[in-house]
Amino acid sequence: MLTALIRSRARLLLGAGLLVAILLALAVVAFGGGADVVVYNGRSQYGDEAAFKSFEDRTGKKLELRGGTAPELFERLRSEGSETPADLLVTTDLANLWRAKEAGLLEPVSTPALERQVPSRWRDPDGAWWGLSLRVRTPMRNTGVPPELVQTYEDLGDARWKGKLCLRTSNNEYNQSLVADMLAKRGRRKTKALLESWMANDPQILGSDVDVLEAIASERCMVGLTNHYYLARELKDDPDFPVAVAWADQDRAGAHTNLSGVGLVKGSEHRADAIALMEHLTAPEAQRAIAANGEFGVNAEPPDGVKLDPIDVARAGALLPDAVALMQEVGWK
Amino acid sequence: MEVASPARRARVAPSRGPAPWTAVAVLMAVLVAGPLLVLPGSFVTDAGAFGQIADDLLPEALRASAVLAVGVGAGTLALGGGLAALVSFYDFPGRRWLDWALVLPLAMPAYVLVFVLLGQYDADGPLQRALRDVLGVRLPEVRSTGGAIAVLTVVLYPYVYVLGRSAFLEQSRDTFEAARSLGLSHARAIVRLALPLARPALAAGAALAVMEALADFGAVNLLNYRAMTDAIYRVWYGAFDRAAALQLATVLVGFTLALVLLERMLRGRARYHGALARGEAVAPRRLRGPRAWLAAALPLLLLALVLVGPLAQLAVWSVQSLDAGAAGAELARAALISIALASIAALIAAAAATVVVHGRRTQPSRAGAATARLQTLGYAVPGTVVAVAVYIPLAWLDHRIDGVLGTGLLLTGSAIGLVLAYVVRFQALAFFAVDARMARLDPELDDAAQSLGADRGRVLADVHLPLLWPGIVTAALLVFVEVMKELPATALLRPLGDDTLAIAVWEATKDSRFDTAALPALLIVAVSLVPVVLTIRLSRAGAPLEQETVFER
Repeated sequence: MLTALIRSRARLLLGAGLLVAILLALAVVAFGGGADVVVYNGRSQYGDEAAFKSFEDRTGKKLELRGGTAPELFERLRSEGSETPADLLVTTDLANLWRAKEAGLLEPVSTPALERQVPSRWRDPDGAWWGLSLRVRTPMRNTGVPPELVQTYEDLGDARWKGKLCLRTSNNEYNQSLVADMLAKRGRRKTKALLESWMANDPQILGSDVDVLEAIASERCMVGLTNHYYLARELKDDPDFPVAVAWADQDRAGAHTNLSGVGLVKGSEHRADAIALMEHLTAPEAQRAIAANGEFGVNAEPPDGVKLDPIDVARAGALLPDAVALMQEVGWK
Repeated sequence: MEVASPARRARVAPSRGPAPWTAVAVLMAVLVAGPLLVLPGSFVTDAGAFGQIADDLLPEALRASAVLAVGVGAGTLALGGGLAALVSFYDFPGRRWLDWALVLPLAMPAYVLVFVLLGQYDADGPLQRALRDVLGVRLPEVRSTGGAIAVLTVVLYPYVYVLGRSAFLEQSRDTFEAARSLGLSHARAIVRLALPLARPALAAGAALAVMEALADFGAVNLLNYRAMTDAIYRVWYGAFDRAAALQLATVLVGFTLALVLLERMLRGRARYHGALARGEAVAPRRLRGPRAWLAAALPLLLLALVLVGPLAQLAVWSVQSLDAGAAGAELARAALISIALASIAALIAAAAATVVVHGRRTQPSRAGAATARLQTLGYAVPGTVVAVAVYIPLAWLDHRIDGVLGTGLLLTGSAIGLVLAYVVRFQALAFFAVDARMARLDPELDDAAQSLGADRGRVLADVHLPLLWPGIVTAALLVFVEVMKELPATALLRPLGDDTLAIAVWEATKDSRFDTAALPALLIVAVSLVPVVLTIRLSRAGAPLEQETVFER
């Protein structure tokens, strides 16, 4: 009995030793480095590794993509400060790039290629961030709904959609950016009235944009609000998917457009390579790979002449806390 | 919080002044509780942050968390306590098997169960549609208060079940028979005698479940249930206000601690050592006919809903995703990383808990008792918050070290910070497991060893370690399972680029890509099931054995 215990202890000690070895190996991998450019990549879930891969193939440089959500990457950058291994920050929305710029984490940069490839309205005036792709947050409708009934954001608040409106939760960053942008452009009174009209329709609050689209397809809802490329993905799987995009406010400012973008991290140790990668990502070839999932590239006109309203991030960024509070106030779950 | 104190104060070597073991305990307490000081500290450094946003969110979030705490507390008590009593005091077909199978849902992370439910039972899911079209009924909405309570209850009840079950096993048959001879029926003897005697254990189990529920992030977030963890996330990531988020977290931790204190007050000084294992455990009563089948069917139904059904669904989705060309190599790597991280954290936590418990026993002191309690504090803190609390001081330290040695970011750039966060978060589990085992060792043993000339080192090596072994392994296994499932701290602190299984699940779930999430989720549950089964075997190995052969023909 005692010997059995001692034996099992010895075995466990052996196991412990092995595990420590594994940890050390992992730590070595984590420290391994050796990459020519380190990218803190908030876009890791969008399948555009191809755009990065082609850079490696073309230049022979080695990239290291470290995934995470934008707020995580931001917190990382902020506390790593000048010691950060990161060279580039890539995010899926502009608010987090703006926040990084405000915190002094990004270094303004400009090159002729970048300026040629990225139109001025899709980049920071100071060059702290450059757009990679466009993401339009706009109403969606079941194909059974006549297009003329859904033409503006206000239309979602029409009483005819009572119980038939689907929205994503208010803790989603795209919704928060949309409301902050509205606060910046329409003012608090109008924005609040708009949100209240949506809430008056007893919207069903779902967990993701995909959920919203599927609810519309199954006619549990007839209209909703999502980013446009999610529909492109559904249509790729099922060309008969019964949902259509309703580009909002075409007679006015255009549909709310957020940006996925990239910025050079201050203190980057591989500045030249990092800038080369920025140029590569905004060049037509990589842009095609990035736009393959339905997002719009920054250097091509959107199809169908859709009118886009870029987020005014300089003002909207500062209004994000107000947006979160307002959504809470009107009861957007 | 502690589950049980040593029955009697050990009488080994009355010490004056701080002892070496106390020093280790204090060190552990500083390591675990120290980072958490940034929570209340945030009120000092950013006094103004707790402003409008927190005011707007706080009342609703607090209410939601309170409802969740009460619901999960009551739910796990009823479910876990009821099942423990059923298995302990009645005999029915499949009982031996159910006895341990009922612990298995512990391996099912709440967020995995939620995403399976959302995929399966959601309004547009195939099951719901079939029910609606054929029978005209709708299943209750999962994204609701009731849904959140139900989901967390069915994955957390094992805490109450395990502790209740071992409490029942330790109850003396003699006491029970005495009650019977005084005219109580079997059922009434359970209600009037066995349940009250097991109250401290049941309450401790429910307290663990409630702490888990309050700290839960994944399930709550997927269900859009706006509890405190959701508010913290919203303020931090939505409104970019880390200080306000930390302050909200302080409120949540205070709330949890208040609940724990309340539980301790209600429990009072009630301890029932006199009724403990002297002789055989209560003999279960054999049920016959339909009642026996009902007794077997209800737990089976529960397991089918919580474990078998979801696992089957995960398997189906996994096969679909494999057909669609899921990246197997990446997942294998994620699994390895998960297992490595969980193992390291488990080893550290179990070793630390052993040292602390041993020190508390051989050299009891006020400082030792206080620090033991401090080490368990992290369990009340949500993973997101633990992550920040660990990260801020660690990053500061990193920059200092780098300034002197030029090592780069040694702590935060590697898995060290993450492992530390796991230890902070789950040290309580390891401590409870080892401490509960120690409480069952007679202090006379220590005396005997010392009177034979053994010093404290030898008491640890030759007396405590061999006897504590099952408790230590249980501690390691519990921490292992929790780390496998852990989500928010991992998301924040992992060496960037290295995904764990939990992260793989989460990233896919956020976009409702359930089939992509299924395979890593299945791997988490599969890997977690092994230690859960081992834990059950270990905990039963040392328990007083039932003498049920008497009743079996």
